[in-house]
Amino acid sequence: MNTLAKKDPQALTQTAPRRAVVPLYNVEETADAFTVTAFVPGVDRSALETHVDGENLTVFARRTWTPPAEWTAVYRETPNADYRLALEIDHRVNREAIKAELTQGVLTLTLPKAEAVKPRRIEIKG
Amino acid sequence: MKLIRYQTSPLFSPAASYPGLRDEMDRLFDVAFPALSSLQRDGFFGDWQGEFPVDLYQDKDAFTVRAELPGFRKEDISAEVADGILTITAHQKTETKSAAKAPATATQERRVSRSISLPENLELEKIQAAYENGVLTVTLPKREEVKPKQIAIEVK
Repeated sequence: MNTLAKKDPQALTQTAPRRAVVPLYNVEETADAFTVTAFVPGVDRSALETHVDGENLTVFARRTWTPPAEWTAVYRETPNADYRLALEIDHRVNREAIKAELTQGVLTLTLPKAEAVKPRRIEIKG
Repeated sequence: MKLIRYQTSPLFSPAASYPGLRDEMDRLFDVAFPALSSLQRDGFFGDWQGEFPVDLYQDKDAFTVRAELPGFRKEDISAEVADGILTITAHQKTETKSAAKAPATATQERRVSRSISLPENLELEKIQAAYENGVLTVTLPKREEVKPKQIAIEVK
């Protein structure tokens, strides 16, 4: 547990951002693409960032809603946390064609497969 | 289904400490039993039956229930009040697009329900509900205090 603190102590003390949790997510594969579905309730389209950096695909989703000052919480079950999903993608994904869609708290990422790895038929000559 | 008992006592304010502790416990469980938590995750997207997280707030005019119900359509969600209990139910059937899958897995069904017992001083006719970004917000206005009226008595 302390490994993170040892590795990068500044990141923990200086910028203390809101805690982020990994959203519930699912990955499916078809012949053409991988599909990542993640549950990010309470996140507005404007508060969603998707980054691709080499092999890393990172989704950061901020909960935009905050209760008005005069409201008092009587009972809470949801955390005051943002969502952060970090996935590794390999050479099979066509990075240029990644698409993200957010509908009613469900984020759908479509990661099309690179042409080189799509199944193809090889004609036999002769 | 779980029933949340509404507490009016000012001593009972778990809101400040409770989520933190619970998250901490969840995290401990995730670390200690990773297989268990991943199992829970896998089940989540299948025929998801069960509950969803709910928050309760109040201000001087109303109580507000916020329920996290991602991925439903507005018409799939119903909220009703009966005998002082608010019941939120969401039911959705999704047809999987790919025809390659076996018929058994072609439809996914999600049914979730949650009941919350309400305090008594509410205007049940003025309840409003809105669904945005996968969060259902139910606003339950408090009843106007019965104001003392002056009654003029004619002395004959």
